[in-house]
Amino acid sequence: MSAFRFSTTTINVASLRDALADPAAGGYAAFEGWVRNHSDGQAVTQLEYEAFEALAAKEGERIVDEARRRFPILKAACVHRVGDLEIGELAVWVGVSAHHRDEAFAACRFIIDEVKHRLPIWKKEHYVSGDSGWVNCERCAEHEPSPRPSPAPDYSRQIALEGVGPAGQAKLRASRVLVVGAGGLGAPVLSYLAGAGVGTIGIVDGDVLDASNLHRQPLYALADIGKPKAELAAARLHGLNPEINIRTYAQRFDADNASTLLSDYDLAIDCSDNFATKFLLNDACVLAGKAAIFASVYQYEGQLQLYRPDNDSACLRCLWPEATRDGIVGNCAEAGVLGPVPGVLGSLQAIEALKLLLDLPGQLAGELLILDLTTYETRRIRAPRAEPCTGGACARITALKGPEDSIDGLEVSFASLDRARRAGYEIVDIREHREVAVEPMMGVPYTHIPMGSLLADPHALDPEHRYLLVCARGARSLAAALELRHQGVPRVYSLRGGIAGL
Amino acid sequence: MAASTRTIRVQYYALLREQAGRNEERLVTSAATPAELYAELSRRYPFSLVREQLKVAVNAEFADWSVALNDNDSIVFIPPVAGG
Repeated sequence: MSAFRFSTTTINVASLRDALADPAAGGYAAFEGWVRNHSDGQAVTQLEYEAFEALAAKEGERIVDEARRRFPILKAACVHRVGDLEIGELAVWVGVSAHHRDEAFAACRFIIDEVKHRLPIWKKEHYVSGDSGWVNCERCAEHEPSPRPSPAPDYSRQIALEGVGPAGQAKLRASRVLVVGAGGLGAPVLSYLAGAGVGTIGIVDGDVLDASNLHRQPLYALADIGKPKAELAAARLHGLNPEINIRTYAQRFDADNASTLLSDYDLAIDCSDNFATKFLLNDACVLAGKAAIFASVYQYEGQLQLYRPDNDSACLRCLWPEATRDGIVGNCAEAGVLGPVPGVLGSLQAIEALKLLLDLPGQLAGELLILDLTTYETRRIRAPRAEPCTGGACARITALKGPEDSIDGLEVSFASLDRARRAGYEIVDIREHREVAVEPMMGVPYTHIPMGSLLADPHALDPEHRYLLVCARGARSLAAALELRHQGVPRVYSLRGGIAGL
Repeated sequence: MAASTRTIRVQYYALLREQAGRNEERLVTSAATPAELYAELSRRYPFSLVREQLKVAVNAEFADWSVALNDNDSIVFIPPVAGG
């Protein structure tokens, strides 16, 4: 028997229902449409349905087929009456059997909505007044193009998974996740969590979109350049899933707001691009006893780590007790990165987040995952919680601090390098060879030692001399000067603003 | 007895990979610990990171810099990375 048909006689629900039975079915949902006694304020006494049957039956079959493809259901059927019907009579019947009730309800709703919307059926209403009138079917697609009902998120593909199901979907709906950074890692994390129906997502990002972001942040568009990324991301996510609650914090995640931001969420995902933020988020999560998923990328590779307060997994400081200073190891701007690399690592963060929220097996625990995307070599390095933290809160983390304070007077300003020379500084250009080749420094004696070589051999600098480190914008020279001071070189300074600031 | 040597597999990541100019290598060394091995390699390659800024893993487990190296150990030097 076909899944959709017209009937000129009373619909026999019992036999239709029996035909949907299946040993694997956990339930069945049905909808019955009845003839009512009023229409647009007029009392109705009788109704007559007429369909363009050849066309309508085919369209009906298509609708039931679509429901079977969209939802993980077992059986579905629909019968529509044609001819004369009395008040209270059954005009249309839809039935769906499925493993779980959510799919049965959703598919049943889908079928009746589409039938009302798409089937070429007319009804002639007979009014108490003795008049009668033909009324077009609700909105026949074949006859009048009209807006479809606004589409709703459909989680059927993940609900079909054994590890998810309706109960898992409800867990996701109740989950609250804070995503720090809406960049290369954040783009896939935010997209997948919103798509999955995570009920509340917070987005922290104080930056505006730059053209150089787009190759690895396909969440955005060229027309968005210069706009705040937190707001842009929220708009995209709302378009993807209007059912979820999206909160934006267009600000930097810092020591002052960290605890407050975190307090509203169950899980934090680190999608930031600097050590200061990563370590701050780590410390805030450890202090608050919240789980965090960290990822970082470098050129063609990445690292992934999951911290959970309730198992013995390492936090960032178990591995790196002293927060690494920014500028020492290249970030995306300095070292370069292939666009899909943060895409892959961010996708892995989304997977770990969903595994954690759904309580699925196989979560990263007490290990650091290192993935080299040039060779596909994956290393899982065991990283248990470090000694001072075992059995409780981390002994190293007692309060939230921003990045290590700069040393007073480390940065100096000059209008020209010549003036710096005359003030007694020896100029050291610490830029990479390729940068120097493109934009050499002119008109002043200087030494060129790329930052890597300089930090590798700080004793090439004479402790009696005074050095001014110079880079393109002043960030790397500041980090290098700070590092050299820590290594015991006393008179190194950084040119504020770098060459761009001269 | 002459200082013993051992064959070690070393893998480099991130900045170290760039500075060593390779993903990995197999080498014969007289270094007895990861600390000695890193010092030896630092003489060969322009590594900018000092040992304190790195982690070392021996046979897929984070290890102390002073642990004894054995023949056929697999060593990974891991710098922290921050890109996102």
